[in-house]
Amino acid sequence: MNKKVMKKKNNHNNAEKDLRLVLQELKDNPYRKFNLAFSLMSIIPLLVFFYILAAKLFTFHILVGDIGFMLLICILISICGFCLGYGIIRSALNKVLFYAAQAKHSDELKSIFVASVSHELKNPLSAVKTNLFNFLEGLLGQINDEQKKVVQLLYNITERMGRLVNELLDLHKIEAGMVGLKRELCNIADVLEKQAEELENMLSLKKIRLIKEILNRDLFVWADRDSLHQVVNNLLSNAIKYTPEGKSITLKAYFVDGYVRLEFIDNAQNIPPEKINKIFDKFQRLDETKEGTGLGLAIAKDIVESHKGKVWVEPLCREGNKFVVVLPCDLRSSKR
Amino acid sequence: MLGLATFLKSQGFLVFSAYDSVYGISLAHREKVNLIILDLGLPAGGGFYVLDNLKHSVDTNTIPVIILTAKQEKELEDKAYQMGVSAYMHKPFEPKELAAKIRELLENG
Repeated sequence: MNKKVMKKKNNHNNAEKDLRLVLQELKDNPYRKFNLAFSLMSIIPLLVFFYILAAKLFTFHILVGDIGFMLLICILISICGFCLGYGIIRSALNKVLFYAAQAKHSDELKSIFVASVSHELKNPLSAVKTNLFNFLEGLLGQINDEQKKVVQLLYNITERMGRLVNELLDLHKIEAGMVGLKRELCNIADVLEKQAEELENMLSLKKIRLIKEILNRDLFVWADRDSLHQVVNNLLSNAIKYTPEGKSITLKAYFVDGYVRLEFIDNAQNIPPEKINKIFDKFQRLDETKEGTGLGLAIAKDIVESHKGKVWVEPLCREGNKFVVVLPCDLRSSKR
Repeated sequence: MLGLATFLKSQGFLVFSAYDSVYGISLAHREKVNLIILDLGLPAGGGFYVLDNLKHSVDTNTIPVIILTAKQEKELEDKAYQMGVSAYMHKPFEPKELAAKIRELLENG
């Protein structure tokens, strides 16, 4: 335990050291550039001054009369402006640099938080899950049916907690911009097929028919393959979860003006109008009795938006909802 | 991990457990094991220290290693595969999946 505390302290010290280094580094370079620019700019009033001096020198009226008085005032104002401007810009720049360093520091703390939460929660969860499994399998002695029911319930809760921790961490990483998107040319048709295969068990368990309307087999987009799989998985499993037994789900994919449009049409109950705008928020669930963490749609939305795409839902006339994802085909030139 | 050892024994495997890196390395050399399940967050050195030692010793460099960890950084997974691990699994894991992976690696090896 002491080691863990020391490790965290070390991380904190490292972050502080980095903060000072960043401040120093940022302080050195931009100030030099700023000073240089300001010195160069101050030549302009000097040139004007010398021009007037040269023009008036031979008349010996340079500091005499109205023009001379105005010239003196101008020079005084220039000197005051220079000093004042330098001070103001310097302090403003200081603040900007300080906030930039603080933002970097908080990003580092976030990374430390994600890593430690991941480790500190998953390790005990794993131990609990394995031991509950051992109880269920009778490896630690036989248990009666009543006890088995309770242990099974605990096992299910542990599994759900594991999923929740994973999804929370995924969401946190996406929102903190900590997920590096490895963009490559992906065929969405392949992603849809693979996810349909992966969710085959869920579909057959509820006797749901999946109708695939993928007219073009070459639906290429420039995207992160793993993230695309996650989006399709989240939306399709969501549709399966809410569609009643024996009904069908339609999956459509096609090109529209440089975009790929995906449609997940379920046969579930219409989403109430007051929930339409909230459905992609965190922990929003239409039916509390259904299994799930309420984070799947929020994760899908974040991923789609990080690919400069859009996702929304449209309730259908009688029953069912249409979840639409629109992704630009080429993202190579855009930056996140 | 007590629960894991109990489960693996029930699956018919002979299991040796080590609770720190140094003991883990000596156990791997002494017992001539067929497979190693390695946690990255081990006391006294850590999982990568153990892996490095195992892969640089002629006695142990051919033993398949499964990493079983709660750490989820992608870079660690890439590093582990570069160092020659056979599989990388995340905690909390499905006990049956782990057993299937062990059997697969032992059959292939």
